[in-house]
Amino acid sequence: MIQKKICMLGGFAVGKTSLVRRFVSNVFSDHYQTTIGVTVEKKSVMAGEQGVLLMLWDLYGEDEFQHVRESYLRGSSGYIVVMDGTRRATLETALALQETAVKTMGPVPFVSIINKVDVRSQWEIDEREIEQLRARGWTVLFGSAKLGQGVEELFLSVATQIMQAVPLSSERA
Amino acid sequence: MRHQPLHSVPSDDPLFNRVLSTLDIAVLERDEHSGEFQLQGMAPEWWHMRVGPESCTMLDLAQWSPFLREYVAADHPAWTAESGTVEKSGAWTESDGQGGTVTLEATVLSMESRTILLIERLGSGFEQMRAIVQRARECMLAEDVTVKAHHKTETRLINQLEVSERTKDGALALLQYLRLAALVLDEHGRITFASDRGLELLGISTREVIGLKWEEVFPIHQQDRVIFREMIKAPSDRRTAGPFYINSSHPAWIELDIHRDPRHPGCHILVMNDRTELHALRRELNEQASFHDLVGKSPAMLRVYQLVRDVASVDTTVLIEGETGTGKELIARAIHSSSGRRNKPFIAANCAGLTDSILTSQLFGHRRGAFTGAVNDQQGLFEAAEGGTLFLDEIGDIPPPVQTALLRVLQEKEITRLGESRPRKVDVRVLAATHHNLSEDVIRGSFRADLLYRIRIARVQLPPLRERREDIPLLAHSFLMTICAASGKTIDPLSPETLHGLMSYVWPGNVRELRSAIEFAVISCRRAEVSLSDLPPEIVGTPGVPTLAPWIPLQDRDEKSRLLAALSDAKGNRTEAAKRLGVSRATFYRRLVELNIQPR
Repeated sequence: MIQKKICMLGGFAVGKTSLVRRFVSNVFSDHYQTTIGVTVEKKSVMAGEQGVLLMLWDLYGEDEFQHVRESYLRGSSGYIVVMDGTRRATLETALALQETAVKTMGPVPFVSIINKVDVRSQWEIDEREIEQLRARGWTVLFGSAKLGQGVEELFLSVATQIMQAVPLSSERA
Repeated sequence: MRHQPLHSVPSDDPLFNRVLSTLDIAVLERDEHSGEFQLQGMAPEWWHMRVGPESCTMLDLAQWSPFLREYVAADHPAWTAESGTVEKSGAWTESDGQGGTVTLEATVLSMESRTILLIERLGSGFEQMRAIVQRARECMLAEDVTVKAHHKTETRLINQLEVSERTKDGALALLQYLRLAALVLDEHGRITFASDRGLELLGISTREVIGLKWEEVFPIHQQDRVIFREMIKAPSDRRTAGPFYINSSHPAWIELDIHRDPRHPGCHILVMNDRTELHALRRELNEQASFHDLVGKSPAMLRVYQLVRDVASVDTTVLIEGETGTGKELIARAIHSSSGRRNKPFIAANCAGLTDSILTSQLFGHRRGAFTGAVNDQQGLFEAAEGGTLFLDEIGDIPPPVQTALLRVLQEKEITRLGESRPRKVDVRVLAATHHNLSEDVIRGSFRADLLYRIRIARVQLPPLRERREDIPLLAHSFLMTICAASGKTIDPLSPETLHGLMSYVWPGNVRELRSAIEFAVISCRRAEVSLSDLPPEIVGTPGVPTLAPWIPLQDRDEKSRLLAALSDAKGNRTEAAKRLGVSRATFYRRLVELNIQPR
């Protein structure tokens, strides 16, 4: 089966690990456990009619204590940028990380998600800012790792984009 | 160039193996041809659990670790790096194969043409670092929550402030629209707010009063300041003070409502009510209700007041007509006080019951030796009243010789003392009064017509009390206050029943009798309130005491018998008898003479 490396990028505590765990194991914990380094999880999905094994690199959150190592990004077929709708600062972090990803990986497919849609009333990221992201060409999804809302769509979306973008001959089994 | 395999190094060296074991590090060398890695030396304990038996020294990275698979991919820059290059993979976490996880970090060493891969299990140091980062991030998240909460609170407060400001603006607009004159004082008496109308009322054109003490701003009299200060100190929540006179460029009279500020107990809200117009109306009303010492606001009395004002402005002789006790002398005093002669003497003389020689001497004076008993020169009342007013009461009783002399004085404005021949110039205004119908006296020949015309240039006719009953409560109240003040007694205002009794009586003795009745009642009263029974018996019609019929002088057939009865009751004391009848002593004497009653 084709394997594709996908990096999870975003500020700390935006819910990267929660989204991966909800997707891979269908579990969720309210307890925040910071990620140090990277944890690699895998799950196969069907992108169209083709099965693909997603190697999900759940990277530590970007903040003043940890900066993403470019070596972690090498070889990624795509990435997911995660934001926390209740913290506007995570939007700024997402923009910076996306620039780093482009520099390191080139123009590979990516999808962004604004997590914590279950507490939409507390969001600091507003519609105007979301529209600005979309205007930059970003695919912006809304989701909730807590409720499982938008999680399958997120990973399927990036898998599909990757499969559409990469010719079969360059795929690594 | 092919180098010696790594097993040629002293991998069996016990020290080397102990060091690797202690550091939890597995050492592998990469075969540059196959790209496979081979374990060198003694493997650490975790290696056996994660990878397999020690004999398995060749590592299939693809099977073993997806992370390492990516890390050591063929295009990894370390494989082509110069000798001495060291590159770390960064930490990664994966399953330990026993249901738990293990966190590892790889290091690539490029040593000449050989490539060494060190895989280290991160232990307690890493866990400490993770815990620190965890705590730091939790703190940041908590701080974020706190900041958000503060921001939320701040937003709420700003919104509340805006609402409050809008409410305040609305209240201010309403205040201005209603033209409410209000000030707010802080606990030190400093002005913290002043409405436009408030400033206007105080005659202040700027808002620079904020922060000033009220004493610096209020243009009021010193005694009012004392009252005002006491009112502010008073403990009650609401007090009313005033009226205070505002001595500004636009003088005003204000009443103050002083409220304790419910929000700040030490502060006060002052609401100023403009009472200027009310004060003016009240003053006008007071002026209408009384005139000098005259009390009454009946139409008849108002006409009298106007007449007094009219005659006061000229210097003619005035004849004041009215029944006894109606206050003829008060009218004379009012005319004098309202005239240009007010600062000169006012002398009243009763002409009744005097012989012509005594009256002549009294009016014009005499020279020493002019008659028996004239031991000194004596000036008369005309001379005493020089520049002022001479009031001749009961002028109808003046004997004919004196009438002649008086006429001469009025015509020539000079008098001649008894016993002298040289006339003296006098400047005296004569006011005369009588209860007689002088026109009838002229017809009867008892009064000189020319004198009548001389003294009746102007006339003031005083109505009897029975013709202005509406003034009785006002007069009674006024007398009650005066008598109580003089006697030191405290008596409540007259009850409606008592007033009814007073108003039902005919008052033959007019106002004088009313005053006597009130005085009688105050003396008789044993309680705080004057009752009907405290009034003289003739007023309340007590059984056994005949109520006197209205006093109609010289026309009542029973008058003689009433005078005699009064004398009898008073045991011959004429003063007391006069008092009982509510007439002056002079009038009583005159009646006795007229009715030819010889007292015993």
